[in-house]
Amino acid sequence: MTILGISCYYHDSCAALIHDGRVVAAAQEERFNRDKYSPVFPIQAVNYCLQEAGLTIYDVDEITFYEKMYLKFERTVLSHLAGYPFTLRNFLDTMPLWLKDRLTVSATIEDELSIKRPVRYVKHHLSHAASGFLLSPFERAAILTVDGVGEYACAAYGSGSGTAIELRKEMHYPHSLGLLYSIVTAYLGFRVFSGEGKVMALAEYGEPSFLDEFRKIVHARSDGSFELDTSYFSFNRGDRMHNRRFEKLFGSPRPPGEELNDRHRNIAASLQRLTEIVLIDMVRHVARESGEKNLCLAGGVFLNVTANSRIREESDFQEIFIQPAAGDAGAALGAALYLYHSVLGNPRMPSLKSCALGASFSDRAIQVLLRNRGVRFRAMESDELVAEAADRLAAKQIVGWFRGRMEFGPRALGNRSILAHPGDPEMKDRLNLIIKHREAFRPFGASVLREHMAEFFEQDWSSPFMLFIARVHAAKIDAIPAVVHVNGSSRIQTVTSEENGIYYDLIEAFRERTGLPMLLNTSFNDSEPIVHTPEEALRCFEDTDMDCLVIGGYLVEQ
Amino acid sequence: MSARICNRCVLPEAPPDIRLDDAGMCNICHNFDEEQRCAEPDDRGLLETDFLKIIEKHRGKHEYDCLCMLSGGKDSTAALYYVKERYKLNPLVFTFNHGFVPDEHIASAQRTVEKLGVDFVYFQTNFMKDLFRKIVETKSKVVICPVCSLWYMLKTYEIAAQFDVPIIVSGWTKGQTTGSTRSVLSKCACDQNPDEFKAMTEATRRFMKEQVKTDPKYRDFPMTMEEVLRIAKKKYKSKAIVLSPHWFVPGGPDEYVPVIREQLGWEYTARSYPRQSTNCDLNFLASKLAMENYGYSVYHIEMSNMIRMGLVTREEALDLLEMDVDGEIFDDVLKKLNIEAQHQ
Repeated sequence: MTILGISCYYHDSCAALIHDGRVVAAAQEERFNRDKYSPVFPIQAVNYCLQEAGLTIYDVDEITFYEKMYLKFERTVLSHLAGYPFTLRNFLDTMPLWLKDRLTVSATIEDELSIKRPVRYVKHHLSHAASGFLLSPFERAAILTVDGVGEYACAAYGSGSGTAIELRKEMHYPHSLGLLYSIVTAYLGFRVFSGEGKVMALAEYGEPSFLDEFRKIVHARSDGSFELDTSYFSFNRGDRMHNRRFEKLFGSPRPPGEELNDRHRNIAASLQRLTEIVLIDMVRHVARESGEKNLCLAGGVFLNVTANSRIREESDFQEIFIQPAAGDAGAALGAALYLYHSVLGNPRMPSLKSCALGASFSDRAIQVLLRNRGVRFRAMESDELVAEAADRLAAKQIVGWFRGRMEFGPRALGNRSILAHPGDPEMKDRLNLIIKHREAFRPFGASVLREHMAEFFEQDWSSPFMLFIARVHAAKIDAIPAVVHVNGSSRIQTVTSEENGIYYDLIEAFRERTGLPMLLNTSFNDSEPIVHTPEEALRCFEDTDMDCLVIGGYLVEQ
Repeated sequence: MSARICNRCVLPEAPPDIRLDDAGMCNICHNFDEEQRCAEPDDRGLLETDFLKIIEKHRGKHEYDCLCMLSGGKDSTAALYYVKERYKLNPLVFTFNHGFVPDEHIASAQRTVEKLGVDFVYFQTNFMKDLFRKIVETKSKVVICPVCSLWYMLKTYEIAAQFDVPIIVSGWTKGQTTGSTRSVLSKCACDQNPDEFKAMTEATRRFMKEQVKTDPKYRDFPMTMEEVLRIAKKKYKSKAIVLSPHWFVPGGPDEYVPVIREQLGWEYTARSYPRQSTNCDLNFLASKLAMENYGYSVYHIEMSNMIRMGLVTREEALDLLEMDVDGEIFDDVLKKLNIEAQHQ
């Protein structure tokens, strides 16, 4: 049985392939076409997934799509009608997209993939729910999904048991936490889809002094449901989704690039606080309603690591699972999983332990590249590479680390990473300024050996996909300043020998040299999608000031 | 003094077409980099699904879905294997022998055909022998391979028309394509206008005009690949398109040679130029003359492309391109051409 899952036309388009009872490949189109958050039909990702499995499209039994486009279209038309005549221009701008691509998904698939198969459409939040639950280690669990908007739903909850998933309640557009976060992201001068993480980071520098204002526009109930007061917004009316009334409440919007001030920081902090409050209320309600001990979370809102961590600490659930590509990319996988397990009744596959579902490149291919580019390199055995890289990291060098299969989802977890010494107080600024070319307020994550986590952090649980933050022991903050955010927390990936192989060995070797069982880990890119190929890695390495690059079995120096 | 060789590919300095900068890199490599840099975001190159789009238009509508050109070498054998086993097409296989293909190569092709259980057309001719002899005797700078390819492509179209086959499948590698990947499809990979081909193309044009057109025997011989396409269309009423699966899938021989070895028992032949190829014996002479006349052969162009595409290292290419045969092979070829042997 082979199932191809597809998501596209909004952001994070993606293809995922289930074959012979396992997820063999999943990748976002942005990694291939180098257009960050690319919304286009993921033709290159589809080709990659099939080739990774040694298959062609003829071997695919079923194709699934991550949402029901006609329902979504209905909602779009109705919401435009509701705002008529002010929405007319937006309606006319939007319709070509619908007519050209979105309403013709089946035809596009047939045309692009040269295959006549009925496409199975899975509702957006059901796709999210499946991506969370069916890859989790739980036989049964409560499920909560929250994002911008699917067809109508912006949030949903229910439960999963075995291969069955039932979503019992939904919150509908426009009452959307994800949408609100994106609206404020744009209001604060950041790009929607990429800027939400910046707002989350910025929030830690502010005070939630605008919480009351937010409560005026978000009428929250104790069960976590809420209504947005739409009089503060101008949905479907132009480029910006907030209106003058919103600006009266919060002040004028920040033009992109303008210097950030306390008001911006406080708005970010207030939005983040409100998000956490609402989510915790939702989770508590889901806990009460479901009676389950475990919780699966999915949807783009659960890329908010600060909120995730509060949920983990403050909810009554014993265990929480978040699939690494919690956003719409993961929904392609979720749609395929839903069909495979819940519709077709195939038994559950082992839980997801690693998100290394993308392409790998042979040492031979890497060596051809290095030789033809005239790059000086050293071929090394794995243990030598580990020792050499650990020595350099201990000496506060910045190391590009490109090995194995590319990660699925927005995080680099030790296969396409830039690594550095977490104990260097200047490292954060060095990285932000000369490597990543990004805002100074953005923190860096840490990859920490699981068994040593409690030595540095107040929490002692697993976070294999870097979707949680942990508070650093006050006494340890000075030891790892490069990975401690202003609030005393770190975004962490816990690393085990079983799941992370050589990456574990590297951190262990670093620990032997420095006493620190962790490395600063940031994605291998510079204002572009995370590198996919050795060529992209080499280019990024050469264009930035990394000190050395470990690429496959080779070490390259600047 | 031998010409400087580009420090990235294996093309020698050959002004005005191939020029090396102060750093030792040739204009062809610079052009390649520039094309990469300027590639439009939606220029995704050729994907396997693009290949499927083409073949699905024709699948099952003719007795044979495609005509596979098979030399018995790794590239055409792998192309045939893909067509039959990966894409489940019903191919007719065509092997062309102009009289200089060693028995070993023909035997390899026959083994492959038998293993795959596909229909096979074998065509042998001495028609071009006089033309080849003329090339050697007149000391023309024309390169034999492009001239030969005009004839065998015309023959291929003729057979495609005869059997009403809509697609011609070659085993041409990524390195044998020139220009952008998209233009390859429209020109059947036969664009000979890029800089590195210019001198050879001009010599071919002159030779065809002065020596071939004037010879009654070759009056109907096509002058250019464009003319081949015109004849195919007008005389044979063939709309067949030419493509190679290798253009559409990632990787190169590293990926497919192990597959055909395992699945078909395919092996490299004992004697061929460049190494690890399966080219005809005439090719030794053709390549030698090209290197004497231009400093490089068509294989240097192919290998250089493959270097730029990251499929082979420059060192490997130089090694494969080294011609370390004794003179006997040249004597054999010249003897076949009825020219007195010149080598010891």
